[in-house]
Amino acid sequence: MKQLFALLLPIFIFLSACSTKELSSAPEAKLLEQKWEQIEQEAKNTKIRMFMWGGDEGINHYMDEWVAPKLKKQYGITFERIPMDTHEILQKLLNEKKAAKEKGTIDIIWINGENFKNAKENDLLFGPITEKLPNFQKYIDIRSLNTQYDFGTAVEGLEAPWGKVQFVFLYDANKISQPPKTFAELKDWIKEHPGKFTYPDPTDFTGNAFLRHLLYEAVGGSEKLLKQGYNPQFVKNEAEKMWAYLNEIKPYLWREGETYPNSLTELDRMYSQGEVWMTMGYNEARAESLIKNGTFPTSTRSFVLESGSIGNTHFLAIPFNSPNKAGAMVTINFLLSPQAQLEKFRPTYWGEGMSLDPNKLSEQDQQTLKQINRGKSVLSSDVLKKHLLPEVDSRYVDWLKENWLHEVVQKK
Amino acid sequence: MKLFKKNSFLFLLPTFLLTIVLVGYGVMMAISESLHKDGRLTFQYYIDVFKNNNFIASFSYSLWIALVSTFFSMLIGLLITRWLYHYWQKKFLKIIYWIPMLFPHFVWGYMMVLLFSQSGWFSSLAHRIGIIHHPDEFPVIIKDSHGIGIMITYIWKEIPFVILMLLPVYHQLNHQLSSVVKTLGGKDWDVFKAVEWPWIMPVLFETSIIVFAFILSAYEVPYLLDTTYPKMIPLLVYEWFFEGDWSNRPKAFAAMLSVTMFIFSIMMAYTSLLIKKRYQMMKGNGK
Repeated sequence: MKQLFALLLPIFIFLSACSTKELSSAPEAKLLEQKWEQIEQEAKNTKIRMFMWGGDEGINHYMDEWVAPKLKKQYGITFERIPMDTHEILQKLLNEKKAAKEKGTIDIIWINGENFKNAKENDLLFGPITEKLPNFQKYIDIRSLNTQYDFGTAVEGLEAPWGKVQFVFLYDANKISQPPKTFAELKDWIKEHPGKFTYPDPTDFTGNAFLRHLLYEAVGGSEKLLKQGYNPQFVKNEAEKMWAYLNEIKPYLWREGETYPNSLTELDRMYSQGEVWMTMGYNEARAESLIKNGTFPTSTRSFVLESGSIGNTHFLAIPFNSPNKAGAMVTINFLLSPQAQLEKFRPTYWGEGMSLDPNKLSEQDQQTLKQINRGKSVLSSDVLKKHLLPEVDSRYVDWLKENWLHEVVQKK
Repeated sequence: MKLFKKNSFLFLLPTFLLTIVLVGYGVMMAISESLHKDGRLTFQYYIDVFKNNNFIASFSYSLWIALVSTFFSMLIGLLITRWLYHYWQKKFLKIIYWIPMLFPHFVWGYMMVLLFSQSGWFSSLAHRIGIIHHPDEFPVIIKDSHGIGIMITYIWKEIPFVILMLLPVYHQLNHQLSSVVKTLGGKDWDVFKAVEWPWIMPVLFETSIIVFAFILSAYEVPYLLDTTYPKMIPLLVYEWFFEGDWSNRPKAFAAMLSVTMFIFSIMMAYTSLLIKKRYQMMKGNGK
């Protein structure tokens, strides 16, 4: 009988653990009313877990080798990075929400676009947090549309901008002396070099961004799309030009357009092996670290088309059930500090654009910023700024995914 | 103490309960989500799924790949087992067929890309030797529209599994019976038909169901090797499930549950058939 009891005990414990709920949301609401010094005090000697996409070695090194030790030293916070795809993080949070689990495991998430929209609509985020963060108030251009809207969704203080990236094409200067300047020139280039160009399937983030550039061009500029909001009927009529373009280049693409790379990683691999001559990416400086570790040829350079290149902002947010919200806020505030942002900007680790407004930085920081050499494969900030295009409503992402399949892949 | 000796199933109880609680709950939630729209009970999602051309194309494509891969894994696995089983009585030789099993499917899939893509190892080799003049001339078997790369990966990976399942049966076979058939003038084929087939058939069928179900619903190999259209079912469902606005999620559940039902009904058909066969076998042996 004893054994039977021993056997059943873990089961009872398991079952009873399922039904226990912690009712502790009251002190957290107060957190947002506290003074910043109090929050910092509360965060001392705690541990925070940040769940984030872990597919880029440069980013991971920045977090583990630079951010983690600094946080420990300056704020006594133990930082742990857990790699996970963002949509899976949201799935986890949604499950926890459904199960009414008020004490989760995630303190910070890295998020934007449709993921943010889903998180906001399902009340998965804690906040508004940004008005409490001193560095947000001090260094960020609060009135900018890039801070107020995330792919057309109002941010409302639920997430703090962490960085900015811009779309660029990458090519090997040893093989291509003069990269195309417009979509028309790109088309000619593709026809002259059959099999040397392709783009990722639009279910991929980058592939979809490539198509959005074409959509802007077909519609006649991003302003028109922004004004329309999400209007499938309007784009349907206007998008004919885009499908015609894609179908025209299709026979000259890699594998004659019969299949497309599933992901940017796959396109990068083909580029690094010389199977195709161009790749692309939603980060103007991404080639630097890939050149450094020998994946890409050292002659890799980048270009944007004259019609512009889409840029977006990505953000940091705190889940509704974070067990250490004070620690999370202090960490986010640290990540928005000029010190952390300048280090992120350097090509050493990540080389990504700052979310801070350079004009709001101190004299000294502005000098440092000017002196940072981002590398030969990165376009100058003037060129990038001149060609910057905004993102439109995130529902166009899905719209492109669906229609691309009918209009391009299934057409013979 | 007695309790445990008599009812050894009690030892299984914790595992059993955990499985029921965790997996069962997930399945229940999936069923419920696929059947509810705005809080009302409906079959709408199932109807949507079966009216969806992408789904139909994916389903027939997946079915084709799963059938071909299962068939060849079974056939080659069986031939190798027949041919080599007496060598494999020595334990250390078993390592040979264990090695491919040690690698996950994902690793094999990626190996396929590295070896067989147009910029891969074999292509470069052929190019260097001079068999082909340009890497583009190398035959397309990665991300090809017939799923050849996927099939090769699965066949390569499942053959060792088939051997693993069949080997014990071959060891237990009464090999004197084979000699009897031969002294009576039977050929190799007669030995197979009369002695081996009745023994291995149930195992062969069970193994083929396992392999078939796995291939039809596994994600990682098609993720690496599939074309853009049609995609294998798991890829399509994953896409629906993790798509931006989450509105296709019930459809993803409905699609996956349909596939599950499909596999389940094949299994039921097999089982009922096998029970009959086993009964006949027993009678035939006069036991």
